[in-house]
Amino acid sequence: MSLLPWYIAGPLIGLIVPLLLILREKQLGVSSSFRYVGSFVLPKLSYFNYNRVKDAWQVQFALGILLSALVFYSLNLVSEPEIDTSLEYGAWALNIYALDNWWVFLFGGLVIGFGSRYADGCRAGHCIMGNSLLAGSSLVTTLGFFGGGLFVSHVVFPLIFVS
Amino acid sequence: MKFLITLSLGFVFGAVLISSEVFHWYRIQEMFHFDSFHMFGVLGSAIASATIFLWLIKRFKVKSISGNSIKPQAKKRRPFGNIMGGLLFGIGWGFTGACTAPIIILLGLKWKIGLLLLAGALCGTLIFAIIKPKLPE
Repeated sequence: MSLLPWYIAGPLIGLIVPLLLILREKQLGVSSSFRYVGSFVLPKLSYFNYNRVKDAWQVQFALGILLSALVFYSLNLVSEPEIDTSLEYGAWALNIYALDNWWVFLFGGLVIGFGSRYADGCRAGHCIMGNSLLAGSSLVTTLGFFGGGLFVSHVVFPLIFVS
Repeated sequence: MKFLITLSLGFVFGAVLISSEVFHWYRIQEMFHFDSFHMFGVLGSAIASATIFLWLIKRFKVKSISGNSIKPQAKKRRPFGNIMGGLLFGIGWGFTGACTAPIIILLGLKWKIGLLLLAGALCGTLIFAIIKPKLPE
């Protein structure tokens, strides 16, 4: 399928926020599902000793996301970006999901898991939900997200992907 | 029923992130290099439209289907956690081109890399829980 333009995708994402509030009385978020899962692994830690039932819905939400990926995959509907290989990162992007880059994703996953708990939210909870509530904590966190990403793209990648 | 509603909303959320290619490493790098407006457009219009919807809910005192009033709460301020956690998360975002929902999407689309990502994220969550008592808020 071809790329869904931003002016349709963005408002559709925005629409999830009121729908979740009206239909489920929940605030958009995804990363607390990790806390929920973690609480079964190390239940004795004080951080995991909490009323996890309140986060259970996020696991259901995550299952819906997984289901969409499986459906898109099996029906061959996945839209892949048109990669401009004359760009440095474009050339890297061609094989970025190859298993040779396992350490990129393992390390990246690690700091995503740690960071989203430390910041108390991810792109969904802070960037979309929090910012649309005009919350200061979410604005600061969003700036952190961008700062970290800019650092990796402009400083770290040119060092590690030496061709 | 509640389960089906949550599952369907997750399905729509995932379908939009896939169709708009937001889950893809290339789109994220493109954003960090300011080479394309696409990601900024998606994020900006998502935040703008959600802000308008929230304002409408407040203005017209819209109730939930169970009849309760809707009062979304801002997340608590954690000056150190928001900045340090945000930066760390951003580093992971830059490396993998994924945040939490795209991790789950990659699990469905490219399961080997997706599994690595998910394993990493769960380990990161466990490490956070272990050292949390020693971290400044």
